[in-house]
Amino acid sequence: MTHGETPSQVSRRLFRAWMLLVCLTMVSLVAVLGFGHSEAGLVAVVVALAASFLKARAVLDHFLDLRQAGSGWRGFFYGSLVFILGVLLVTYVVAGR
Amino acid sequence: MNQTDPLTSEESLPASADSDQGWGALSDLPGNPIMWVLIISELLVFGAFFIAFGVARILDVETFRAGQALLDVRMGGANTLVLVTSGWLAAKAVQMVGLGRGRASRFYLAGAGGLGLVFLVIKGLEYASKAAQGIDIETNTFFTLFYLMTGFHAMHVIMGIIVLAIVGWKNSPENLETGAAFWHMVDLIWLILFPIVYLLQ
Repeated sequence: MTHGETPSQVSRRLFRAWMLLVCLTMVSLVAVLGFGHSEAGLVAVVVALAASFLKARAVLDHFLDLRQAGSGWRGFFYGSLVFILGVLLVTYVVAGR
Repeated sequence: MNQTDPLTSEESLPASADSDQGWGALSDLPGNPIMWVLIISELLVFGAFFIAFGVARILDVETFRAGQALLDVRMGGANTLVLVTSGWLAAKAVQMVGLGRGRASRFYLAGAGGLGLVFLVIKGLEYASKAAQGIDIETNTFFTLFYLMTGFHAMHVIMGIIVLAIVGWKNSPENLETGAAFWHMVDLIWLILFPIVYLLQ
């Protein structure tokens, strides 16, 4: 977990990751509750899915320490997330047509 | 008699650095390789669930829209904040035990598990509210998938709380890291499930 960091640096990094998770959750809630049923509905959905990717990545990188793994593993996990969320965006667009 | 004592031979030490080499590519991942096998498996299973949900939504979009409109986004959002905070506390517990501060680690872990219980209470209130409206798993395809996905995830939350309790009791740094990794996986799945089920209306 430390990866050459001091304890206070680790604490700050974990705190920043948590704050990012809280802020992104609020952003997606505001986007969907505020604009989800308007003409900007698709934008709200894209914001929610992008926030989901960034949140999942923060958990992987900082809580599960994936940032210490090689680029192959990081690519696998980020790629899987993009694939799942991308397919869901496509199904949303197709369902709305 | 030139036999090697099986309890002291190098091959029999499961936590040795040498044994990590036996995991191939999984050795490159931080922490317990078996936990990463579980994380990948769960990501694939839930990923299949999510894609099936999206396809089913195309086939009957009006039913899904009507069902999603009945969901309480605020309750789902509150549960997201509860789980990410719980994940942060679990990460702090791992950090503390690594610094030799077992008591502080248990404090953070208890906070993480306690917020897991809060998640289940909010989920229970949500289910009770749906039941009061006469909605159950057989109402329509949307609610069948809703209860299967959120129920399956809630079972992981229950299991996660049990795992956190066990590693809080036997709190070696390795146990803490492995138990917390399970908890982060439960968090990770919810972070994808929540927008897909609650927000894509």
